[in-house]
Amino acid sequence: MDAAEVEFLAEKELVTIIPNFSLDKIYLIGGDLGPFNPGLPVEVPLWLAINLKQRQKCRLIPPEWMDVEKLEKMRDHERKEETFTPMPSPYYMELTKLLLNHASDNIPKADEIRTLIKDTWDTRMAKLRVSADSFVRQQEAHAKLDNLTSMEISTSGAFLTQALNYMYKLRTSLQPLDSTQSQDF
Amino acid sequence: MDSSQQKTFRGHDAPVLSLSFDPKDVFLASASCDGSVRVWQISDQTCAISWPLLQKCNDVINAKSICRLAWQPKSGKLLAVPVEKSVKLYRRETWSNQFDLSDNFISQTLNIVTWSPCGQYLAAGSINGLIIVWNVETKDCLERVKHEKGYAICGLAWHPTCGQIAYTDAEGNLGLLENVCDPSGKKSSSKVSSRVEKDYNDLFDGDDASNADDILNDNAAKTPSFSKGIINDGEDDDDLMPASSRPRQRSHILEDDENSVDITLLKSGSSLLKEEEDDDQADNIHSLPLVSSQRPFYDGPMPTPRQKPFQSGSTPLHLTHRFMVWNSIGIIRCYNDEQDNAIDVEFHDTSIHHATHLSNTLNYTVADLSHEAILLACESTDELTSKLHCLHFSSWDSSKEWIVDMPQNEDIEAICLGQGWAAAATGALLLRLFTIGGVQKEVFSLPGPVVSMAGHGEQLFIVYHRGTGFDGDQCLGVQLLELGRKKKQILRGDPLPLTRKSYLTWVGFSAEGTPCYVDSEGIVRMLNRGLGNTWTPVCDTREHCKGKSDHYWVVGVHENPQQLRCIPCKGSRFPPTLPRPAVAILAFKLPYCQTATEKGQMEEQFWRSVIFHNYLDYLAKNGYEYEESTKNQAIREQQELLMKMLALSCKLEREFRCVELADLMTQNAVNLAIKYASRSRKLILAQRLSELAMEKAAELAATQEEEEEEQEEDFRKKLNAGYYNTPSEWSQPRLRNQVEEEAEDSGEADEVEEKPEIHKHSEIHFQGQNPFSKSANSSDVSTIKSGAVISSNQGRANPFKVSANSKEPAISVNTGRSTNILDNMNKLPKKSTALNRAASNDKSPVIKPLIPKPKSKQTSAASYFQKRTSQADKTDEVKEENPKNLSSETPALSPQNTENQRPKTGFQMWLEENRSNILSDNPDFSDEADIIKEGMLRFRALSAEERKAWTDKAKGGAASDGAEAKKRKRPVDENNETERTESQKEKAKENQNLPKKRKPLDLSTNQKLSAFAFKQE
Repeated sequence: MDAAEVEFLAEKELVTIIPNFSLDKIYLIGGDLGPFNPGLPVEVPLWLAINLKQRQKCRLIPPEWMDVEKLEKMRDHERKEETFTPMPSPYYMELTKLLLNHASDNIPKADEIRTLIKDTWDTRMAKLRVSADSFVRQQEAHAKLDNLTSMEISTSGAFLTQALNYMYKLRTSLQPLDSTQSQDF
Repeated sequence: MDSSQQKTFRGHDAPVLSLSFDPKDVFLASASCDGSVRVWQISDQTCAISWPLLQKCNDVINAKSICRLAWQPKSGKLLAVPVEKSVKLYRRETWSNQFDLSDNFISQTLNIVTWSPCGQYLAAGSINGLIIVWNVETKDCLERVKHEKGYAICGLAWHPTCGQIAYTDAEGNLGLLENVCDPSGKKSSSKVSSRVEKDYNDLFDGDDASNADDILNDNAAKTPSFSKGIINDGEDDDDLMPASSRPRQRSHILEDDENSVDITLLKSGSSLLKEEEDDDQADNIHSLPLVSSQRPFYDGPMPTPRQKPFQSGSTPLHLTHRFMVWNSIGIIRCYNDEQDNAIDVEFHDTSIHHATHLSNTLNYTVADLSHEAILLACESTDELTSKLHCLHFSSWDSSKEWIVDMPQNEDIEAICLGQGWAAAATGALLLRLFTIGGVQKEVFSLPGPVVSMAGHGEQLFIVYHRGTGFDGDQCLGVQLLELGRKKKQILRGDPLPLTRKSYLTWVGFSAEGTPCYVDSEGIVRMLNRGLGNTWTPVCDTREHCKGKSDHYWVVGVHENPQQLRCIPCKGSRFPPTLPRPAVAILAFKLPYCQTATEKGQMEEQFWRSVIFHNYLDYLAKNGYEYEESTKNQAIREQQELLMKMLALSCKLEREFRCVELADLMTQNAVNLAIKYASRSRKLILAQRLSELAMEKAAELAATQEEEEEEQEEDFRKKLNAGYYNTPSEWSQPRLRNQVEEEAEDSGEADEVEEKPEIHKHSEIHFQGQNPFSKSANSSDVSTIKSGAVISSNQGRANPFKVSANSKEPAISVNTGRSTNILDNMNKLPKKSTALNRAASNDKSPVIKPLIPKPKSKQTSAASYFQKRTSQADKTDEVKEENPKNLSSETPALSPQNTENQRPKTGFQMWLEENRSNILSDNPDFSDEADIIKEGMLRFRALSAEERKAWTDKAKGGAASDGAEAKKRKRPVDENNETERTESQKEKAKENQNLPKKRKPLDLSTNQKLSAFAFKQE
């Protein structure tokens, strides 16, 4: 999966909006949405929320975890722990990016949130790199990584597996070479 | 004494708590944390005496009492020291403990003592807020006053001349006690048995009319904000006026309590007449019982300050950023800071109008918002009068604003908008109506000062002060007017019920137009138009709050869907404007008992559903449009709940309750209930229910007959034309003939003897409006497609079938208006059978085959019939036939035992013959159901003659045993066959092998249904 695909999946996440129009339930393949009452919060998928927001048809309510205090706690926790900590949403990065890009006016302290999420992300990516490094160094056969989000996996997953593949090939081709050499001698 | 001279007194081992100079400047008394109280000679700084009186402590902060001691003024003869719960008095020079002053009411350590300037009285304050005054000579307690909030008294000071004591408490409040001890009443007041409460002013208030004003002024001037009644102003007259009447009164108290009471009452009553402010009238009445119960001082309810007028959905006026309105249309915010005084209007639905920004030069304080307009009003200022400003944005002309000036000295206190009108309530107790375009309409007087108003459509909802409330309660009244073409008053100044000690916080209409309001305790109440315009609490918002100081700020009520829209406010009663609060939705919950149980839950749901659909009736009555489907849905929901409750009560063996529940049901639901009862073999219940059903039908018919008398003729004709048989209330005479004809038509010699019997039964059903026929009908309708079944029955069970079909129009005629309901309810049977099935499955281990009680059953059957037949005017014949029926029934022990032994219907016979064909055509058919289905299709494909032939064959083959029973069972059984799954069929087949003793039950349709129920096993 590449980032775009993950983002596409993330757009199915439900977020709360306050519409400023009135519309009866709409029936979509993915499920029914609405009814939309002006002034009344309603849960819709992210893609619709962004679409409505762009047309100024709604006000977005940030997810509960998108709060400076909670994110600070989360970041500190992430930094303290050796392993990956569970994230408030499996699509936290995508949600943050999309919401902050399109509806930053509805999110209090948007800049701080952006920084916090970025910090968390960086911490996690560093952890991922470190663990990949140790994984390769120690030539482990398998490793367990909990609480990784798909976006994080997509950043290194494809590259890592390919790299491991090549390394394996190199290693296996190295051995016969050794043996042939020894035979030659 | 030379001020420059310093003296140091050494001796205390811990911080000094208090000091007191001897008035003669010889001694100095001190109290210290080391627990000692010492007296020092000022001249040589030696310690004259030391008493270890107090508890030791290490610091002033930790000292239990600050021990403010005091010398007697003037002579300095006595030194008073507050020690724990008493005041110790020491004689000068000898330093002997002269005596102690104490009182039973002192429950906590005394903090402070003070002498009156005259030296006669001693006041002491305790750490729990008690102030006590003694007469030192007599050692009598004169006054006991408890601080309202029980804060520690930390300072006391006597008025130099009057009997007043100023006090301070540890929370920083300053208070004043008035007329603490009147010189002449010393003796008597010692006899005052009870605690002297602070609020007897109401009784004695205005004893002297000339003083009344003073008292009031005193009240106004001196009452500190925190304590309503700590001032005993009622008695201060005594100090000021020549003591004549009061002392006598006091002595009366001594001699004869009753007498004194009389006098007091008389006096206060007469003085009231003179008094201008007669608020206290009610108060006096309240105080009566208290007074007569030997409490000479008024200790009754205190009047509550009236709540100020408010706009629903607004936050307090003093805020710089506040909501003027938040309702279902939009939000009006008001900014009033240094830079800007402006009003922001925002609509939830931007399609109504775009957001607007107004400058608030006139300083508008109240506002309302509707689909059509924005209404603003301001109070009058020195130069300007109060103004009503309307922004009629939906106007089609170009001038969208109008302003109306109120007359001088008339301030607008509350405003509201309806559809096409605006209303303003003013301080002059006037309600002014305007059209939305600005035309002045009616003006009328309000019965009291307005609290709040709300408008919706044509309805205007006014809440006003009916009078003065007491003990924290508000005394509100409500008016509900309809300002449509027919102007009328729905609620004529009824009292508005509020939670105790609460005030009104929100007034409005639900989106559907039912008046609602919320009080400060968070209880939402709604007008129950179905119960004589009473108010029902529908939600307790405090239940949903997490913290004690959290509140929900209501912004709207919706009945369909049931939503209470409100804003959760953490730690406050109202939300701030920023960050922008989000609306939450609360569910309604009626305060029914035992909602943890299933029963309570369903009862709550049922009544909630009833209350929340009252608006439909209102809309219908007032000629508004509404969706019929909503109503049908509501009725279905209610009936389903009733059925569930019935099932539950049935399970709990509460049969009486079942009947009560059935009484609430509609006709169709009652039929289902009967079905359910007979299935769960509660035959007595079933019988009762069917009686009930008949009563209901009769009632319904009675009411409908009047309405539809004229149409009846037409209907009859139509029905007769359309249907072969038209059994109904109005065609009884014809029925017999038709039945006979029919019997002849069927032309079956061997059955002829039994036929009339059947018909009679069916007649009975018809005439009595027997619900069974209808229940059969409803299941018929649901399976009407099974043509094969019907056709196979044609020859024999014809009367039933006809009754079933013809019944339906009859019903729809009867119930006229409720046709839709019935149509709708036809869907119900399926659901409820599922429910019933589930229920009976649950029960199956419990239910044993009925223990036969033939006698009682026969008698009950007989009585059952008698009842019917008496109505049907056919008593004789049926009576004759009853025994016959019974006897003919008894041999057929279990109808369905025989049922499956040999094919009885044409279809079944045909199926037997053709089974091999079907199987060979469809080798993959392993399921019996599939075979039957396929068979049915094929059978249906046969021509009518062929089918008839099969049916005849079947009839020929059918033995006479229980033929009758079968016949009557047929419609149901056949339906079952179509409805049921294979597994059930097999079960039934297994059943036939089981030796089962089953007695025939009633001959009535009960039997049919019980057989149906048996088959369930």
